[in-house]
Amino acid sequence: MQTKAIPASKSGYDESLQEREGYLANLLTRLNTWWLSATYPFASKGRGVQFHYASEISRRVTPHISLGNQIKIARHAWLTCGTEGPFHLKITIEDNCRIGPCCTISSKNSIHLERGVVLAPDVLIQDHAHAYSDVNIPIMLQGPTPGGKIRIGEGCQIGRGAAILGGRGEIRIGRNCVVAPEAVVLSSFPPDSVISGNPARAVAHSNVTKDCLVRDSAGTT
Amino acid sequence: MQQALVETNPELNIQQHRLAREDPLVWCVRAFTKLRTLWIAWIYPFSSFGSGVWVHFRCRIPRIAARYIQIGDRVILSRGVRIDACPNPGADSPVLILEKGVGVQRGCVISARNRIHVMQNVIMGPAAVVMDHANELEESANSAVNSKGGESGTIRIEEGCWIGSRARIVSVKGELVIGRNSVIGANCVVTQSIPPFSVVMGNPSSIVRHYDLSKGKWVLGSVRRGNAPGEQP
Repeated sequence: MQTKAIPASKSGYDESLQEREGYLANLLTRLNTWWLSATYPFASKGRGVQFHYASEISRRVTPHISLGNQIKIARHAWLTCGTEGPFHLKITIEDNCRIGPCCTISSKNSIHLERGVVLAPDVLIQDHAHAYSDVNIPIMLQGPTPGGKIRIGEGCQIGRGAAILGGRGEIRIGRNCVVAPEAVVLSSFPPDSVISGNPARAVAHSNVTKDCLVRDSAGTT
Repeated sequence: MQQALVETNPELNIQQHRLAREDPLVWCVRAFTKLRTLWIAWIYPFSSFGSGVWVHFRCRIPRIAARYIQIGDRVILSRGVRIDACPNPGADSPVLILEKGVGVQRGCVISARNRIHVMQNVIMGPAAVVMDHANELEESANSAVNSKGGESGTIRIEEGCWIGSRARIVSVKGELVIGRNSVIGANCVVTQSIPPFSVVMGNPSSIVRHYDLSKGKWVLGSVRRGNAPGEQP
């Protein structure tokens, strides 16, 4: 049975709880939004996208980034992706997403946030890692791994400090999942589940027909 | 629709590649960072300060702590990094050593009271925490700088390690050694020593892979945790 994705404005995300900023900061954010919209060559960008003045998006990677409508990118959020290799979209963020403060989205192949995904502060989404197989060279100099893909379904809520790390293959988090704070997600999860722990496992899933939350005693899926 | 357009139109892509030059405003940030680095190297009384260091202008380094800090060549401290050293009475100076080529990512916290030694070419992911002390519970409302006592150990992170994002390395007692080329996974909490060439993940942390030097290959599965010399397992 299909459930309707909750838009970010109607989910647990409360705009009024956001840090209030001064007039100068708002002005700077507006200027930055205007500057990025006017001069950065995004693959596509919808209306009402807001870039905080302290968010970090390099202009070199913007052809690989596609943004939907009404996205907010908060303070110190960092969107980056590799620019080498054949051209394809590496970061896709759909409508109504919220990228929290200090979030890092680092893509090598593909990271896709569907509609209404809310990222709390300090979330890390990375579809590749540092290679460490050679023991004679420092890990710093070994370069990245080939990595995989990440797709986060509609209306997901990612808790504070959670990390979603792609290895090989595609990681799919179904729609309306809730990822607990400080969870480390390394595998795919079905829709409507509550994901917690390090490494993460599904601790509960919402039963759509009964309209309640069912606790899972079994481990990962 | 937009996505399909971009992926099937190579001419557009080439154009966008050509457009995607560095933003000129980035040079302001780089200039601020360079100025901050020069200012710090000139004014702060560091124990030693290498060449080719980049200290981001949003870095927090208290000036009173600088005399206990040693920074090697080509160290990079990114935005929001907090480095603090407040030596216990009797601790050898310098208390905090960052060797050549250490890369500290955004939002990391390194706080030393006894000794933290980060060796060459270590990378620390975003918001990692390295602390060699704990606050006393009664004084937990105060900051680490204000608390008088508290237990403290020493930390040594050897060459070529990778400390993952939001990993926490806390040593309250004894020596904590993270062996060379080890990987500390994201959100890990490490309170005990880690042997060289091992991959640590999960919470509570466990060694999920390690390199067997005698066999010359990576071995899966948990191995017994190495303890610091002189410490009972």
